[in-house]
Amino acid sequence: MIGQIIKKQLLLLWRNPMQLVLLAGLPIILIAILGTALSGMMEGGSPNINMKIGFINHGDEEKQIDQFIADMEEELPSETVESIRPAVEQWKPAAMLKDVFDNEELKEMTQFNEAQPAERDKILADDSYTAVIEIPENFTYETLENRILDKTNEPALNVSLNNGHQIGSSIVNDILHQFQEQLTLGEFLANEGIDQTVLQLDEGLVPGDKTSISQKNPVSAKDYYAVGMAVMNVLFIASTIGSIAFLERQIHVFDRVILANVSRWIYFIGTFISASIISALHLLIVYGFAWAVYGVSWPNLAAFFTVTLAFAIAVGGIAVLLTAISYRFNSEVIINFFSGIIVTLMAVLGGSFFPIGDSSPFIRMLGNLTPNGAGMSSYLKIIRGDGIVEISSHLLFLAVFALVAIIIAALSFPKRGASI
Amino acid sequence: MLELVDLSKKFKQIYAVKNLNMFIEKGEIIGLLGPNGAGKSTAISMLTSLVEPTDGDVRFHNKSILKKPAPLRAVIGMVPQEIALYDDLTAQENLQFFGRIYRLKGAVLKKKIDEILELIGLTDRRKDVVKTFSGGMKRRLNIGVALLHDPEVIVMDEPTVGIDPQSRSYILETVKRLNAERQMTVLYTSHYMEEVEFLCDRIYIMDKGDLIASGTKEEIKRILSAEKTISIKADRFNDTFIDLLEQNPTINRVVAEEKEVTIITAKETNLFSDLIKMAEDTGIELNSVDVKTPTLEDVFLHLTGRALRD
Repeated sequence: MIGQIIKKQLLLLWRNPMQLVLLAGLPIILIAILGTALSGMMEGGSPNINMKIGFINHGDEEKQIDQFIADMEEELPSETVESIRPAVEQWKPAAMLKDVFDNEELKEMTQFNEAQPAERDKILADDSYTAVIEIPENFTYETLENRILDKTNEPALNVSLNNGHQIGSSIVNDILHQFQEQLTLGEFLANEGIDQTVLQLDEGLVPGDKTSISQKNPVSAKDYYAVGMAVMNVLFIASTIGSIAFLERQIHVFDRVILANVSRWIYFIGTFISASIISALHLLIVYGFAWAVYGVSWPNLAAFFTVTLAFAIAVGGIAVLLTAISYRFNSEVIINFFSGIIVTLMAVLGGSFFPIGDSSPFIRMLGNLTPNGAGMSSYLKIIRGDGIVEISSHLLFLAVFALVAIIIAALSFPKRGASI
Repeated sequence: MLELVDLSKKFKQIYAVKNLNMFIEKGEIIGLLGPNGAGKSTAISMLTSLVEPTDGDVRFHNKSILKKPAPLRAVIGMVPQEIALYDDLTAQENLQFFGRIYRLKGAVLKKKIDEILELIGLTDRRKDVVKTFSGGMKRRLNIGVALLHDPEVIVMDEPTVGIDPQSRSYILETVKRLNAERQMTVLYTSHYMEEVEFLCDRIYIMDKGDLIASGTKEEIKRILSAEKTISIKADRFNDTFIDLLEQNPTINRVVAEEKEVTIITAKETNLFSDLIKMAEDTGIELNSVDVKTPTLEDVFLHLTGRALRD
């Protein structure tokens, strides 16, 4: 019986090409428009992007270089030491990294703050920072040991990214990789460059979400808007299913189902499952297109499918909630209000149009309390390289949201048919 | 077989149906007559267990179905006033969906669909989507869906609204055939007197939630045994003429339309010469004056002072 209801819903959508085009085509077009527009803006260095970078050097670079030369003089012949001294004296990775962020080109979008080690905890607790870069105490000395003496202990930078600042942290990520590549490919380090493991994330220091740049998947504008538009537009599935269900009540199809001695719960469950299936299909179609045309890919497919399933179930919950309320009040107003107003509000809060994470923590929290916001955060984390563990809080929220929606819907769903 | 006992339904402070008593015997065709808003649809929604009454009871084979409606639902077919079909599905897909809802499947369902399509004359349109159908074809399919599970009782709520005379005739003949060949009990609601007169053995007349008359056609028409209906036709009437009619103490009811005025008066009254004089005095050029055999429409007019389709 439930299968018949699902089959009928799929057939009805299939037979309605205009609705299909609107549901699937609209997000695809929006991804193209917004993704292109924003990527252009990012390439042009938009002053609208504000990054606050904290920089803490726990050591003294000059002293480390002097110490390294002194230690070499004890171990190596003086000729050898003299031959490499100029190169060693020029090797100042901490100063170079500081210059990268504290320069004129980035001034418009970057607020660079060099802090003392004593201020570390305060800075890491400050959510306004996009990233905090820490140079460990013996970083310069160890890189010289690694490069000159071929010692295996690879020195590491500590970088804390605030993923609440989604675009900003992505840009910092990119800059660090470019810096690393320059060092690696540069003449001075031609043979002994720092590899990617030099950069390690210090997890759990900055409040909010963080991602490991050692897993280094920056989120492009196309990625961002593919996710943003997909999670927004799938909400319209809920209102579409709700509208179909309400029409079924208006034209007494629901009465026919009840008169056939079919439990109203069968109809309820059929509506919920069909909304969930159609939502999942919708997401897969939009992401499939985004993958084929814009190259939006998913490093962790299991996590991707898990989020898609959880999010689709949450949308199914919204669909039955809208259905039940419209049945209860015998009015389509709630469905129209949802598709006309609430979806837009949820899309803005959830970050579909701009990175909500760059706003206040309160708005970010509100965003993550919307199913699309939770879905979006999960998808973006997966693109960056996170796994199911890192997105578990969002998955839990989606599951709880769906459950609450279903319970409220079940309590509101009328006992009998007949809209007179 | 099926009985409504003191059935009432109140929406907020207004009674949509008040103290309705009805009975339906097996194999009967019962007409439920009344203008729009009379309470017919509410009454049949309660009868079919879709709406819970405020007061009263619905009894099927002497058992209340208010708490346990399943036995009645198993044998009842409902044809709602609206086209309760999916416009984007074909006739066959609609029948398949509702057939599966009625737990029919496989060869049984296929055979039943063929039979229904044949009965409603849509076999050659089975693969066309419903939205391409005429109003009459949709109405026929609407009836066909209600017949899928071979119901003993079929409730038809104004099944001929808004269709052409040919389709209406087809539907009325189909109802007659279902009753004659399958002994199907029919409850037929309409505000078309001629349909009810054509189809029904017994008639209930409702107005503003109340049952105002019931009985066989003959019994109901006998309500007018002391009165007669006169139809006056002209190219136009004026207010002075209508006022004169309404002020005449021998005329009980006046219903004025653009080119026809219907009056009800005592059977023994001879109004002919008075009518001619009134027309002359008010400048009305009469086309005809007919004394009519009483119809159910006249009964309704007599009982309520309003025409059925007002």
